[in-house]
Parts: sequence; C-alpha cells; structure tokens
Amino acid sequence: MDKDQTTAFIKVMDNKIFNLIQKKKRLYFEVKNEDLLEVTAHLFKTMGCRLSTATAMETYRAIEVLYQFSHDISGSYFCPRVVMTNKKKPVMHSITPIVRGAEWIEREMFEFWGITFEGHPRKEPLLSRNHPKGLKQPLRFGRRT
Amino acid sequence: MNKNQIPVGPFHPLLEEAEYFNLTVEGETVVDIDMDIGWMHRGHEFISEQKTFTQSIFLVERICGICSTSHPLACVHAIEDIDNVEIPERAAYIRTLIGELERIHSHLLWLGLAGHFIGYDTLWMWSWKYREPVLQMFEIISGNRNHYGMMRVGGVSRDVDPDKIPELMKILDTIDSKMIMIANAAHDDPVLKSRLVGVGVLSKQDAIDFCATGPTSRASGIPGDVRKDDPNDAYGRVDFDRIVLNNGDVYDKLVVRVLEILESTKICRQCLNQLKTVRGSILNDVKEISPGEGIGRYEAPRGEVFHYIRSDGSNRPVRHKVRAPSYVNIPTFQASCKGIPIADALITLAAVDPCYCCTERALRVKDHEEIDILKLSREKTERLRREIHDH
Repeated sequence: MDKDQTTAFIKVMDNKIFNLIQKKKRLYFEVKNEDLLEVTAHLFKTMGCRLSTATAMETYRAIEVLYQFSHDISGSYFCPRVVMTNKKKPVMHSITPIVRGAEWIEREMFEFWGITFEGHPRKEPLLSRNHPKGLKQPLRFGRRT
Repeated sequence: MNKNQIPVGPFHPLLEEAEYFNLTVEGETVVDIDMDIGWMHRGHEFISEQKTFTQSIFLVERICGICSTSHPLACVHAIEDIDNVEIPERAAYIRTLIGELERIHSHLLWLGLAGHFIGYDTLWMWSWKYREPVLQMFEIISGNRNHYGMMRVGGVSRDVDPDKIPELMKILDTIDSKMIMIANAAHDDPVLKSRLVGVGVLSKQDAIDFCATGPTSRASGIPGDVRKDDPNDAYGRVDFDRIVLNNGDVYDKLVVRVLEILESTKICRQCLNQLKTVRGSILNDVKEISPGEGIGRYEAPRGEVFHYIRSDGSNRPVRHKVRAPSYVNIPTFQASCKGIPIADALITLAAVDPCYCCTERALRVKDHEEIDILKLSREKTERLRREIHDH
C-alpha cells in the first residue's frame, strides 16, 4: 500500500476512524454514521478514489455496511465500515449525494437487508421491482432458507 | 412539445438478455431514461455462502458465459488476499494468458454485435469468424471452449502443454494479422465513422461520478486499468500499453476495444514465450483459509470485476460479494443517452457491452407458496388497462 497516502489519510481522519485493520494495499476501518459523509467526501473528492462497491452483512452483533473505495493511483483500497447495532431498524446516511455511482448498490442493500439510507434520492428496490409478491429483506438471518 | 414514453424491452431484438429501458422522448430526442433491472434470478451471492471455497470458484464461473474466467480470477484473488497467498510463476503466466484470450474473444463478440446493431453485418461476420480461432486456443489449452475450470486458490488446475505452444503461437499470428486488418478497416471506414462518431458521448466527469470502469471509462479519458494500477498474476512482468481515448463516444469505445485486442495478443505471445522456459509447479498447496476478509479484482473485458470474501476460518465464505463491471457502467446511460436521437439510443445502450446476468447476480426468489402466474398476469393487465383508461 502507498504508505504516504495511508499515513496522510490516517493523520487527517485521525479522530473519525477507529478499529483500523491495515494489510498490504488494504485499509479497513470503522467510522461513525455521523462522520461517514465527511470521510466519503475526503476519499472521493480530495483523494480521487473510485467507489468499487459496498457490501452489507449481518452478524450476531449488528448489521454492517463496508464501502470499498479504490485508490487507482496507488492500487490500494480504503474501506470505511459503518456498524448499526439496532438490527430491527438499521438506518444510516446515504453517500449517493456525494458519489452518484452509489445509487444502485444502496438501493440493493435497502431491498436485501432492509437498511434505510437517509438522503438517498430514490428509496425503492432495484432488482425486485417486478417481483410478483415483493421481497422482504431476503438476505437477513431467518429469511435465508 | 409533448413528452412520450418509449419502452425498450424487457424482450427486444437488440438486447441479448431480458432488460427494460423506458425512454422519455420529446419528438425524436431522448430527454430521460429509466432502467428497470431484475429480470433474472441468479442468487449467486447466497448460493456461494453454502459452498466450500473451491466450489465457489466453479459457481462464480457460471455467473457469465462470456467472462467466465474473470469472475473465478477475482474470486481466487479475494481468497488469496485473506492470507496473502503467493502463486507459482508458471501459474501466473497461465492465468494471464487465459485472461487475455478471454478479453480477445469478448471484444470480438461485442464488435460483431455492434456491427450487427448498426446494420453493418460484414463487421459482424468478420469478427465472429476470427473469434473462432480464439475458442480453439481455449480448447487446446483447457479442453473446453468456454468455462475452462482453470482457476484454483494458489495457482491453476491445468498446465499448458509445451508441445502445443508452437501451434498456439501460429493461431495467435493469424489472429494478429486479422486484427490489424479489422483495426485498419475500422479506422478508414466511413460507415462506422458517420454512424458512431459523436454518438452517445460520456464525458470524463460523468464517468468519474458514475464510477465507470473498463473501456467505457478509458474511452472517456480515464486511465484506470486494474492490470496496470494493481498488477496481479503476471501483469507486472509483461509489456503492454493502456489504451486511453478522450472523446467518450461510441466510436472511441469501439477503437479502445480493437486496440486492446492487439495489446492482448502481445501479452499472450509474451506469456507463451515465458511458458517455454519457466518451469516448476502450477499450484501451491493451500490447506485452509484464515479468518479475515479479502478483496479480489480483475480487469475483465468490460472493466473491473470485484469480489469481496469474508472468512470465519471454516471451509466456506460467510459473505461473498460480487460486483460486475456492468453494474457500474449501465447507470452511465443516464448521462450518455440524454439529448441524443432515438435512433442512436440503442447503439449507445450496447456500447458499454452490458452484461445483465452479471449485473443481476444476487437476486434470489424462493416462495413457499405457489404463485399463480396466469392470475397475476391477468390482474396486472387489468390494472394497467384501468390506469390507461383513468389517464
């Protein structure tokens, strides 16, 4: 991983990122929901990262959303993770107003995991709009069989 | 002027797969486009979590028939990323060879379709004729023309027989000469230029905003190419150029792909030359995968294929995320299709080489109750009839 870029990023975002996992060309870290937009703006606009995608996942503790930003100049990944412990009603900020390319993946996480993205311009399912009965978060625990 | 809606799909001669586009037009000009995806129910992400790591590689190979090595490559990269697994040098060259042959046949397939879509069937027949030797090369190497089953965690499953390399080189020479002929023809052809230059322009800023990848973004002046930015396998050891053009129109997307074919043959030749001399194992023995998370990506013919895998130390992934390049390239239609004539919209839709079965890899439908499709269809028809009547 480009050590200068990583060091500079950690220094600038020092008080906003925590639980860092640093590997070769990969930096995973947690970010609070209220700091997500600032971290995203820094990655996308200041550093010129590209959003590869985002991955939602349910654990016993919480529902997580991991954004994967590719820093193409150095070939490395910066991955902010938002952890929502209220599994009954997971809510977080949408990054679509900053990164237009996040629109589809956030809609997909909304329909498969039931995550509400505040500020998303189009809160409707992406893949199951034409499903005859509608899907209810099919990838959540208890609905996967 | 009144606005009208023109539906394209979900079943349309231009679309190889089921997809639905709703074009809003004023006269002949497209002023808005809405996309409705989700017509194919694949469930790959869900199924992968029920399989072992090795079975997952076979599963993701079936996501797409065209880039059937890009998904397994990104998948093994993701698994290897968890433990920083190294692969033997010979395996690296074989992986790169297979990946580049796939790029050649995929670009030729698109080139033929693009020619067919604009009524230029000579280009279609040429492209598909010269795609055939590439499939023969796959058959010589792997025994299959598609779905080669070559990728494994820690290397590859089959070696390239050194005795077959002269034959493969000979086929590559044929492909090269024909590609130069097609490249020159495309460069000089007034039909292609008059039909494609300035059509469906995707600006550099729009490509950045939509996070586009592959030839779609490289035709708009963005130099991103995983093979150069994050070289894995043998890409750091072979010489090739990244092809970047600036106009962002359909013609530039075509030229990027044609020139990339020539770069790919260059890479294949280097790999085959190396395989004559580089000896040794083709597979490192990987017994288990540690708990952790890994990101794998590969520059597929359509752009970056992305896989994310999380392991809990068992023999199967607890989360397997797949993102195909079309997933980020298809939304660029919202920028490239606005303001163009309806007649140009269809070739603009085809220009990103969209793959819908890749895009819809996640959706899963399992209803415990039986659905009466006929009843639902009648209800929908009646609802639409009422809506039109009320309107």
